[in-house]
Amino acid sequence: MGTRGNPTFLATLWAALILAWIFSGEQFLDLMFAMPDAGAVDDWLLGIVVRAEDMRAAWGAPDLFASWRGLLHRTFGLG
Amino acid sequence: MVFPTLQFVLFFAVVYGLNLAVAGAAAWRKALLIAASYVFYAAWDWRFCLLMAGVSAIAWAGGLGARRHRWARGLSIVLLIGTLALFKYFNFFTLSLAQLLQDSVLARDLSLLRVILPVGISFYTFQAISYVMDCARGEIAPRRNPFDVALYISFFPQLVAGPIVRAADFLPQIDRPFAVDAAMRGAAVVLILSGLFKKMVVANYLSVLLVDPVFAYPEGQDAAVTALAVLGYGIQIYCDFSGYSDIAIGIALLLGYRFMRNFDQPYRARGLSDFWRRWHISLSSWIRDYLYIPLGGNRGTPARVTVNLLLTMTLAGLWHGAGWNFLAWGFLHGLALAAERAIRGRTGALSVLSIPVTLLIVLALWIPFRASDWDGTLAILSALTRAEGFAATAITGPALALIALGLAMNWLPMRWRDRVEGGVIRLPAWAQAALLAAGTVTLFAAAQDGVAPFIYFQF
Repeated sequence: MGTRGNPTFLATLWAALILAWIFSGEQFLDLMFAMPDAGAVDDWLLGIVVRAEDMRAAWGAPDLFASWRGLLHRTFGLG
Repeated sequence: MVFPTLQFVLFFAVVYGLNLAVAGAAAWRKALLIAASYVFYAAWDWRFCLLMAGVSAIAWAGGLGARRHRWARGLSIVLLIGTLALFKYFNFFTLSLAQLLQDSVLARDLSLLRVILPVGISFYTFQAISYVMDCARGEIAPRRNPFDVALYISFFPQLVAGPIVRAADFLPQIDRPFAVDAAMRGAAVVLILSGLFKKMVVANYLSVLLVDPVFAYPEGQDAAVTALAVLGYGIQIYCDFSGYSDIAIGIALLLGYRFMRNFDQPYRARGLSDFWRRWHISLSSWIRDYLYIPLGGNRGTPARVTVNLLLTMTLAGLWHGAGWNFLAWGFLHGLALAAERAIRGRTGALSVLSIPVTLLIVLALWIPFRASDWDGTLAILSALTRAEGFAATAITGPALALIALGLAMNWLPMRWRDRVEGGVIRLPAWAQAALLAAGTVTLFAAAQDGVAPFIYFQF
């Protein structure tokens, strides 16, 4: 049994995660503020996230996640 | 931290990457997975980690001594059951005692005593007990390395809601080199997406659209709506729990570990004993091997077997929750199993009705399970006889579609699922990951706002 393909699988997952962050509005920022206090590294972590969020906002990336969500909910009557 | 959250996605993305990075070093991989499991558990309450470490230590020491010394086995089992009893049943017993003593000062003091229920304790103490018992029976060799036992007890995919993994299945896997091929990845992608769909779409929406409103206010419902809500709860609990199991098994596969299947289309069972071979299989087989068979199992007179069944199922009910409704649920299942045993082979042509009759019994017994107390149970039973409800919950198209979907999951041929899985297995690695990512994003988008807890977390 081989293990080929796992690094590709991992790289694709991380690329997808970055794309999800870029095109999902402030979901990740909300998540970071909702997480439990990470102690000594909390300010450092939040600083990185806020800087990344500023960068994302500067690119003007659309919130595709919200649009996709709205479409799904309207189509299937999920309310 | 629960599976269908962005927080868990980020956590897993990091752990999965680190697991690949240390794939060639078994000791580092073990250390990483233990650390990740404790971080995962600490997200609820870091104090519970001390409890889990204590349970692991008892199991490790008990396993070492269990083969040679009966007292070591006995002591460790008593300590493990005592831990479970203290954290899970203390409130139930003190509250019941306080109700019995009514107006006395002791009753008032007792009703003030409370112990927090650590999430997943029923699952990991059962794993610890089975480890000690298997060592005592000589079915597995006790582990000298306490970290092996710590990983077995704490492994995060199955930590808080199972499946209840057997040491004989799990421990040999931690000694093998990491090997996740396209087949394991493909199976994992299908399991994770199907689990997320069952939980985030079917279970959560059924709960909000139908089950919760009816069970919250049964006095205003009519028979048709109530019957549909009971069926809806049957589908909800199946999708909630089997969804969790699917995700857990899928995540474990990506990390290189195989777990047993925990559900096998339970609502197509041809009898109660068949139902228990298909529902929460890891618990049913645990109870069979460590409780029912040691009690005597099917050996002895019919009366003795009936007593064994009643005792086993009542304790299984109590395992689910510290409440009289769970006791009653387990006892009634025991009674139904005993009745089924008594009429076995005598049903003749009526055996064609075995599937619908079994489904009806199982659904009827979900009522006390869901209704939290006697008054609620009686109110639902009363609503099932009411012709008109003055404030009946509206039955919407999505609710009916979700019920149909839930039933279909129990009836669709397994080869259809296998065919889908085969297709995903043949995809290149990047496409498997892209499918997992796109599917997860879509299911997160389709889900309701907020995080609905898994029903089995309370057990």
